[in-house]
Amino acid sequence: MSDASLEARPGDAPFRNPGWAGNTGEFELTEADVRGDEYVGTLLPDGGHPGAAPALPYILADKNPDAPLFEGPYRERIEKILSRYPTAQAALIPVLNMAHELRGHISDETMATVADTLGLAHAYVRGVTSFYTMYNRRPVGRFLIQVCTNISCNLCGGEEVLAAFLAETGTELGETSPDDLFTITEVECLAACGFPAAVQINSRYFENVTVGDVPRILEHLRGRAG
Amino acid sequence: MAYPYTHEREVRILSRGWGDPASRSLAGWRALGGYEGLERALQLGPEGVIGAVSDAGLRGRGGAGFPTGLKWSFMPKEKTGPHYLCCNADESEPGTFKDREILRWSPHQLIEGCLIAAYAIRADHIYVYCRGEFFETNLILARAVEEAYGAGLAGTDILGSGTTIEITVHQGAGAYICGEETALMTSLEGDRGLPRTKPPFPAASGVFGRPTTINNVETLAAVPHILRNGAGWYRQWGTEKSPGTKLFCVSGHVNRPGNFELPMGFPMEELIEDVCGGIPEGRRLKAVIPGGASVPVMDAGDCEGCTLCYEGVQEKGSMLGCASVIVMDETTNIVKQVRRMVDFFAHESCGQCTPCREGTTWMARTLRRIEEGRGRVEDLDTLVELSEQMTGTTICVLSDSAAAPVISSIEKFREDYLALIPAAVVAGVS
Repeated sequence: MSDASLEARPGDAPFRNPGWAGNTGEFELTEADVRGDEYVGTLLPDGGHPGAAPALPYILADKNPDAPLFEGPYRERIEKILSRYPTAQAALIPVLNMAHELRGHISDETMATVADTLGLAHAYVRGVTSFYTMYNRRPVGRFLIQVCTNISCNLCGGEEVLAAFLAETGTELGETSPDDLFTITEVECLAACGFPAAVQINSRYFENVTVGDVPRILEHLRGRAG
Repeated sequence: MAYPYTHEREVRILSRGWGDPASRSLAGWRALGGYEGLERALQLGPEGVIGAVSDAGLRGRGGAGFPTGLKWSFMPKEKTGPHYLCCNADESEPGTFKDREILRWSPHQLIEGCLIAAYAIRADHIYVYCRGEFFETNLILARAVEEAYGAGLAGTDILGSGTTIEITVHQGAGAYICGEETALMTSLEGDRGLPRTKPPFPAASGVFGRPTTINNVETLAAVPHILRNGAGWYRQWGTEKSPGTKLFCVSGHVNRPGNFELPMGFPMEELIEDVCGGIPEGRRLKAVIPGGASVPVMDAGDCEGCTLCYEGVQEKGSMLGCASVIVMDETTNIVKQVRRMVDFFAHESCGQCTPCREGTTWMARTLRRIEEGRGRVEDLDTLVELSEQMTGTTICVLSDSAAAPVISSIEKFREDYLALIPAAVVAGVS
C-alpha cells in the first residue's frame, strides 16, 4: 500500500536528502530505515487490524478518478471502521480518506456515495469535506507537490523552493502541468520545521529540500512516471 | 546511534530509541524496559497511577502546561457508561516537530503511555487523533497497535488484569484547529472541526457526550517512564514548577536545528549557542519565538538569562508553549514573518467567531500592505487595537494566538515596521 512510485531504487544516487529527516552525514541510516518501511510491511486494502483501519494512505500516484468505491476489501474496511466508533457519523472522515486514497479527489458524486453509505445527508458531507484542506475538490496531477512556506521553512528558503518547483514545471500555483504529472501547492506547517524546506509529495515527506534539489527531485519523479 | 544530531547535554529519556529502527518494534521497546510501566500501573490501581503522575509534577506538553495528574483526577470515579481518552497527535503548531518523531521512532512508548492513562481515567477506548499528513508515521503507529493487540497489551483483559481498553488510530484530514481539544472531539465525531464552549469541560461531557480526557503525545510518552522509575526519579531534572525533561524543537537560523531533549529550565542562550551550534556565519540574534507561532515574540534582550521552563519564559513576557524555539537572526524581516504567521491563522480560523474570522483576515491584509511599502503609521495603532479586540473574546484561543505575535512584535520591533512605512521614514519617526 505504500507508494512504490516514490521509492528510491537500488543504485539510485542519493539526493542530498532523499526525503527523510536528518541526513547530515552523521546519520548512517537508509531511507527505508528512517521511513520504517520494513517495520510497516504491507497494509492490506481491507485495513488490517480494526484498530488500524482508519489510518490510511492519503494519496497515491496510481489513483483513478473513476475507481469503484468500497467494493471487496474496501467494504470490509468500512465495516471495521464502523466497529470502532459509537456512531456512523464518526466514520465519515476515515471513509472520505478512503475515497480520496482511491480516486485522488472528492467529487460531488463521491460525496453523495459516501453520504448514502453512512446514512448521512449529502449537504452535511459536503460541509465536512469542504472544511478540511487535504481533500482535493478536483483532480490533481500524478504527483501532488506541497511546499511548506510557514515560518520555519520560510526563514530557510521555503518560498524559493516553491518558486523553483513552479518554474521547473512551468505551472501556476495550484494548477496541474500539461503532462498531467505535477500539481504544486503551498501548504501550511508540515511539522518538519527542523528540516527545512519540508515538501510533501503525495504521501511522502521530503525534507531539507533546497532550490538546488528541485530539478533532481522532478527528474526522479518523471522517471517513476515512465 | 546519532539521531540526527545528539548533544552531550541532552538527557535522552523520551528520545532514547530515536535513530534506531529496532526501537520501533515491540521487542525493541521491551528491550528498553517497555511495558514495565504498564505492569506497574496495573498493580497500583487507577488512583495510584494518578498519584504517581501528580507527584512527578508532569505538566501537559501540548502548550498549556496544565498538571496532568490533576486533569486525570477530574474524570468521574463512578462509571455510568464509556469513558474516552483522546491522544492529540494532530501536531501542527508552526515550529513544532516532536510528536512526529515519537510516533515514528518509538510508537510503543506512546501506546504504553496511552494505556496507562486510559487505565487511570477508566477509559474504555483510546483514540489517537493523528494528523492526516503524517501518512508514513501513521502506518508505523498502526503497525505498533496491531503488535500491541497481538501481544495482549491492548483489547480484552490486558495482561490478565481483567481490564479492557481498545485503541484506534484515527486520521484527520488537514485542519490546524483540530489540535484544539474541543475541536479535536468535534472532528472525531465526524464533523467540521469547530471548537466548543467550555463548560461543559471534556471530563464531564467530551467526545460522543461522554467523559473524556485529551492529552498530547509527548505528555503520554513521558508517563511510562514515571511509572517505571518513580516520581522522585523524574523530579531529578527540571525545576520545582516544571519537573522533568522536555523535547525542544529548534528551527530557523541555527547551525544545528532539530529536536533536543533537555531538562526543563535549560538556559535559552546555551540551547542556541552550545547545543544548536549558534547562528550561521556568526550573525547576531534578532528574535526568538520560544513556543511555536502562538506565543509572543522575544527580542535578543529578552533571551538573556531566559530559562526554558513554564515559569522562566513567562517571566520574560512570553510562553513556553510546546517549546518550539524558532530562531531569527539579524537579517530577518520581522514584518514579513509576522505576516506569514497571521496568514496561517487566517487560513486556519474555523470561522465561528467574528473577532477571529474577521480579525485575522484584516490583520493579514494590513500587515501585507505595510510589508509592501504601502502602510501608514496609524496602521500600527489599528493592529494593536485589533489584537486587543481579538484577545479573550472567542470560543478558543486561536484568535489570541494570532494576536500574540502581532502585538509583541509591534512592541519590540516598532522600528522595523516604521522602516517599511514611507511617511514614517520621511518624517524620521522612530
